[in-house]
Amino acid sequence: MKNRTLIKDIIIRLLGFVLAMFVLSVVVFYFARLAPGDPLQSFYGDATESMTSAELHAARVRLGLDAPIYIQYIKWFGNALGGDFGLSLKYKMPAMKVVSPLIGNTLILGSTAYVLVFALATGLAIACAANEDSLFDRAVCKIGTAAYYIPAFWLGVVLVLIFSINLKVLPSSGAYDIGKSGDVLNRIRHMILPLIVMILSHLWYYAYMIRNKLLDEIRKDYVLLAKSKGLNKREIIFHHCLRNVAPTIISIMAISIPHVLSGTYIAESVFNYPGLGSLSVESAKYHDYNLLMILVLITGFLVIFSSIIAKTINEIIDPRMKDSEVSAWQR
Amino acid sequence: MAEINSFKLVGTEYKTYVPCVKKIPFCKKLKGKPIISAIILAVIIFGCVFAEKVGNHNPTEFYLQNLNTAPNSEFYFGTDSLGRDIFSMIWYGGRVSIAIGLMSMVIISVIGITYGCISGVSGEKVDAIMMRTAEIGNSIPSILLVILIMSVMGEENIFKISFVIGISGWFALARIVRSEVRQIRNSDYVLSAKTMGVGFFSIMIFHLIPNFVSSIMFVIVSSISSSIAMESTLSFLGLGLPVDVISWGSMLSLANKALLLNTWWVIIIPGLFLMVTLNCITNIGSFFRKETNRKHSNL
Repeated sequence: MKNRTLIKDIIIRLLGFVLAMFVLSVVVFYFARLAPGDPLQSFYGDATESMTSAELHAARVRLGLDAPIYIQYIKWFGNALGGDFGLSLKYKMPAMKVVSPLIGNTLILGSTAYVLVFALATGLAIACAANEDSLFDRAVCKIGTAAYYIPAFWLGVVLVLIFSINLKVLPSSGAYDIGKSGDVLNRIRHMILPLIVMILSHLWYYAYMIRNKLLDEIRKDYVLLAKSKGLNKREIIFHHCLRNVAPTIISIMAISIPHVLSGTYIAESVFNYPGLGSLSVESAKYHDYNLLMILVLITGFLVIFSSIIAKTINEIIDPRMKDSEVSAWQR
Repeated sequence: MAEINSFKLVGTEYKTYVPCVKKIPFCKKLKGKPIISAIILAVIIFGCVFAEKVGNHNPTEFYLQNLNTAPNSEFYFGTDSLGRDIFSMIWYGGRVSIAIGLMSMVIISVIGITYGCISGVSGEKVDAIMMRTAEIGNSIPSILLVILIMSVMGEENIFKISFVIGISGWFALARIVRSEVRQIRNSDYVLSAKTMGVGFFSIMIFHLIPNFVSSIMFVIVSSISSSIAMESTLSFLGLGLPVDVISWGSMLSLANKALLLNTWWVIIIPGLFLMVTLNCITNIGSFFRKETNRKHSNL
């Protein structure tokens, strides 16, 4: 019986997921077509100025830009189901082909940063909560809040200035040196600076949330019992408190996905790391809407899908979570 | 209380008796308040307001003999790759950045509070739909949302950019307002106002908002700093203000060029101003945050 409700939940979630993707695609499609910036301009470049109006019209018909928006959408949707997302107007290649080699890059960067942020945040939170109100805790709190408000892109530029230009120890841009795409060490060297930026700009936000949660936890009665049983601090925190806080940490992790993902956007653009983020910024600059569409859809897919997974995992771990609303929103 | 008072003997001079109130010294009143942040922020805002007096050069003029000069006695903070004086640009740019922060804050709070109040007082179903919508909006990466709207808006100016930051940043505030409103919507004063036939917006302004304003103060104040940061990020990415509209963000959009020339002052100085301002605003904001009194630790 219990299993059936779980499966039913998952099916309902998947339906909601499909619906959300559909709504997202409609909204973005309308948005993109209503935009100023002429798509023809980005397709033909300066050649549009020398074209006659008849030629322009023919080009519009050829690219399917003359039909009403909803017909364009239906056509686009039909093609998209077959994996054809239209031409990238800037690269003059199928948008899917432009994007697909970059998904991996972003996923590697994003997931490494994600794991590191939460591992470090939990560690830092435990260290702070165990030594509450000590000099260490207060210093970390002050420094952390200050560091959280350093603009991420500026931090990136400063790191490049220090480590790439003046010390010349780390590369400043790209995901790998030319011709070394298979070299793991080379890739890691290119990832260090973007990772530092992403970790520093997200770490404290989550560490502080987890710290506060732990501080509430160590005030509960079972901690007193464990203490009177003779357990030491470490055992209490790791064996009792941390287990009780784990569902909260997981739900914070689920909510944080869009936040971390927007971090990759900035880090990628600063370091010219070929990925979804730097490509979206570029396609927004050049009004390349077919490309922007697919990028938004992929991002939406990642965000919605991972939050569904996190929610499901959460309910399996802790059935109490199902009814109560996640209370990790307080900033 | 009343019993204790009733046993108190009141002298004949009770009419002229003035209870002596202990004067709290001025420095003690300031304790626990973010004085340093307030002073630094006041200095920066003062400099921005009186930018004409503070700056010693014309911020829009190109000093072509002095491209990329390091800080010296004439150009206090040096010049950038276009030959503009950074010291003057800082103060003029601060005006634009702070103005964008304030305007976005107003837009965020108007939309967020109204939306949250409507959602809070309406029935279960409407509330659920409104909150799901806000949740979806919150789950889209904010930078992607802003990029998307920016790319649609066409030519950028200060008002457009604050509008875009405003309409993509109110989701979190709406959620907090809604949960606050749900706690107070059944109280007697709201009921009595309703029975007297007071309209929704009057109830919102005179009854609801004064009761939850203290708990959203922190979010509102820190939305100023997050908007300033967002503007500078957008300008840096080349999606915000153009280089000729001076703001702290558009000054930093020259950072990539400065990296090639290794002129640190173009990057570090506007960034430091930005960072200090953001931190001061946040410090002042967190003063408004309700301090929760924790009981003694069991550990």
